Amino acid sequence: MSINQILPFFSTAIMLGFTVYVLQRYWVRRAPHFLFWGIGLAMFGAGSFAEAYLSLSWNRWIFFAWYLFGAALNAAWIGHGTLTLLVRKTWVHIVTVILVAGSLFAGYLMLQVMPKLDETVFTTSKPVSEQYGTKVLAAGETAPADAQTATITDNGRQVTVIKGLLPLGSPVRLTTPFFNIYGLLTLVGGAIWSAYLFWRKRVLPNRVIGNVLIAAGALLIGSASTLTRLGYGQFLYIGELLCAILMFTGFRFAARPQPDEVAQPVTVAAG
Amino acid sequence: MPGGLQTNKKSHLPGNSLMFEKVIPALLILMGILTIALILFAAGVLLGIVHF
Repeated sequence: MSINQILPFFSTAIMLGFTVYVLQRYWVRRAPHFLFWGIGLAMFGAGSFAEAYLSLSWNRWIFFAWYLFGAALNAAWIGHGTLTLLVRKTWVHIVTVILVAGSLFAGYLMLQVMPKLDETVFTTSKPVSEQYGTKVLAAGETAPADAQTATITDNGRQVTVIKGLLPLGSPVRLTTPFFNIYGLLTLVGGAIWSAYLFWRKRVLPNRVIGNVLIAAGALLIGSASTLTRLGYGQFLYIGELLCAILMFTGFRFAARPQPDEVAQPVTVAAG
Repeated sequence: MPGGLQTNKKSHLPGNSLMFEKVIPALLILMGILTIALILFAAGVLLGIVHF
């Protein structure tokens, strides 16, 4: 068993602890942002577990969980928790409805594509994130030595493709960037914005640092995923683990009681 | 008659701290730029400009 097969199990364990920690807070305080965070973190954990499983063996429903929860939805749900915390406006409820409906629609599209998965291309020798998509080879581009290629007809023209688990042009893949853009904006943008507000007001250093850690963790996995799609998959598992550690640490840091209290003379009206 | 002390429960950022004066602002700017770059990348994928 290689280190890359072990790391996702550590990420899964950390995300499981993180999810329980956040859902416990929801149970006590009933604040909706904890629920959205908890759901998103559970999705992240499911995605990490699926990735760990798929580094050892194939299972189509584990792949379903990996793509839907790990690749598509989790960032958007965690980010929506941040939006719910930061913005107390009616339109956030409309966004919630859109997110739920969009997630169900993505699940429906994923179910539609399940019978068309090309399981013959699956290998445990590389991350699933490097083999899920079917990619058209551009003119003059050569396929990697270990890739399976095929010539197919796409929109009336013959193209050579590197075969992936999902067929070319799967509609579910079109939904993923929407969720990820929304997730990046709200999760990372929200954490950076919160850190900036506390920093500008010169208060609550634990929340400044906590939000910086959360933003850094989310950016780390976003960057590692992007690098994987560009062919540098070796950073993915360590990126995922560092993301889990940074985000959990950041959350604990931001939520902890203040280290000190500053006594300031304040003029108050005598009663 | 004015008077009395009230405890301000908010802790404050330490003054003259390299971490809070230089490192945190630099990190926030850097992460903001990286976020925009990743969003543009994802938008490029969505619009079919970036292929993978």
